[in-house]
Amino acid sequence: MSQKKHVLIVDDEPDVVAYLGAVLETCGFVTHTAQDTESGFRLAGEVHPDLICLDIMMPKESGLSLYRRLRTDDGLADIPVVIISGIENEPEFDFRQLVSDSSIPPPDAFFEKPIDVTLFGREILRIVDNRRSATARRKSGTP
Amino acid sequence: MSTTSETKTPALEDWMYRGLFQQVPFNVAIIDQDYNIVNANDNFTEYFGPWRGKKCYRVYKKLSQPCLGCNARLTFEDGQPRVSDESGVDQHGQEAHYVVHIAPLRKRKGASVKYIVEMSRDIVETKNWQMEYQLLFERVPCYITVIDRNYKIIRANENFRRTFGDVLGRQCFEVYKKRRTKCPNCPAARTFRDGQVHRSQQVGIKKGGDKANYVLTTSPLGRQGDDVAHVIEMSMDITDVKKLQKEVIEAERLSAVGQTVAGLAHSIKNILMGLEGGMYIMGRGLQRNDREKLTQGWDMLERNFNKTTSLVRDFLSFAKGRMPELEMVKPNALVEEIIDLYQAIAAEVGVTLTADLDPKVGTVPLDPKGIHTCLTNLVSNAIDACEMSDNRQGEVTIATSAKKGAVSFTVTDNGTGMDSDIKRKVFTTFFTTKGGKGTGLGLLTTRRIVKEHGGHITVRSISGQGTRFRISFPKSRLTTLYDENKAEQVLKQQVKERS
Repeated sequence: MSQKKHVLIVDDEPDVVAYLGAVLETCGFVTHTAQDTESGFRLAGEVHPDLICLDIMMPKESGLSLYRRLRTDDGLADIPVVIISGIENEPEFDFRQLVSDSSIPPPDAFFEKPIDVTLFGREILRIVDNRRSATARRKSGTP
Repeated sequence: MSTTSETKTPALEDWMYRGLFQQVPFNVAIIDQDYNIVNANDNFTEYFGPWRGKKCYRVYKKLSQPCLGCNARLTFEDGQPRVSDESGVDQHGQEAHYVVHIAPLRKRKGASVKYIVEMSRDIVETKNWQMEYQLLFERVPCYITVIDRNYKIIRANENFRRTFGDVLGRQCFEVYKKRRTKCPNCPAARTFRDGQVHRSQQVGIKKGGDKANYVLTTSPLGRQGDDVAHVIEMSMDITDVKKLQKEVIEAERLSAVGQTVAGLAHSIKNILMGLEGGMYIMGRGLQRNDREKLTQGWDMLERNFNKTTSLVRDFLSFAKGRMPELEMVKPNALVEEIIDLYQAIAAEVGVTLTADLDPKVGTVPLDPKGIHTCLTNLVSNAIDACEMSDNRQGEVTIATSAKKGAVSFTVTDNGTGMDSDIKRKVFTTFFTTKGGKGTGLGLLTTRRIVKEHGGHITVRSISGQGTRFRISFPKSRLTTLYDENKAEQVLKQQVKERS
């Protein structure tokens, strides 16, 4: 019996949190929510989720700074991060330009609001499964 | 006048004759009944040249016979002194302008006039000045009128006549502004009263019915006893400058609208996400017959529908480019309205809303709808800031004041306050700290309305302590705007009457 997977949703918009939460619960995830980057970072450390859904435009601090902190934190760097934002993916959204640090890898996926539920669910499951098999491979020592 | 008796005159009389004759700053000549110059002083000789044995008309005007309408002849006949402006030729052949005083010389009253004395003085320079002045008065690219104490125009320059029509004898308010009564705050009236120079911006109506914006300077001209007899009104037309100014404001507004439309996408996406989320959750609720999910989904739909409404309303209010419609209103009454409107809402979230009204504010021309929007935005922001703050005793004060020729409204709260980063961004499109609750257009709209009133908005804020927004309006700008509004109304009325 496989253990339930955990997802952390960081978005200042309560309705978005509720929506993503409902979708992810349907996909079989346990959800945790944070409405700003500070509590998001704290929860990430506490829960150590299998995936983080992150918004970019938030009032106090941008989602990108949380992304930078996650990717540069030894304990949290390998958690997959999916960015869900109102910012268009192409061509306006140039992740490189926004993060302005070439050592930071891009997010595992990018979704533009409003999301396509089916595509979103499928992609999240794929990312989490990939990570599970990668971790399993690492543990068994096979390439 | 060369008589033998002169050798016997006493010293004073001698001086009176020889000294004064030579020293008076006039060209003096003595003429007999046959127009012969019998004596003349050195000034005369210097001005007109040799005269001995010559007729006056030859010396003065280089004519071969007496002048038409000769004044000297008349004085010989009636014994009355005369003054006249004459033109002749000086000893260098140049045109000469001079004023001549003619006085009869006779032995006793009633005796016939044997000689006359002609005292003339050059007025070429004065004439030139007059011409220069005339040219300046007529051609200067300003409107100039001289009015009397009944506000009747007694002189008007070319530019004025061309723009406002031939108006001598009519009252200035009728001509400048097509009014039937004196203008309120008339600067000419102030100059008549205090003899000082006054300046103000005015809006008039040209003879063709177009609007004219001008800066008017009134200055006293001449006195009657202690009173200013006339006032000179000099106006600089700034209609084109005003038009440019308006175009700049319009361009700024359009560019802001453009940015806003771009930013609007972000807000709309969040709303769409909320609406889809609501439907998704309701769908789950229906599938599982889960009443809790149904309610949650419904609430989300409702919330996001309301957000759509307020976003559209705010956006339209921001994008609307209407000029303020000024009315005479009491700022204090406007504040009381807002207090009535928000008292209950504030109390619900534990915020006290109070007014601090300055009775000196009185009545001023403002666009009540526009100011209502500004105050609504500022007060709801202030209440939100208190609600978000840790401070339990939220307080919002709306104050009015009249200082330094300006009327201002101040909204102060003891809420969260802002750090410098937020302060920098408060007037940018779609910037909000309220998450999904705000549209990020409130302060932008407020600033637009304030600017259209010719006022300014300032913010002082300390993070964690509170914020103070102040909007203030210089009264002079409001009066000008009000006059413009009025002029436009008069214009519309005239167009209606004509059609």
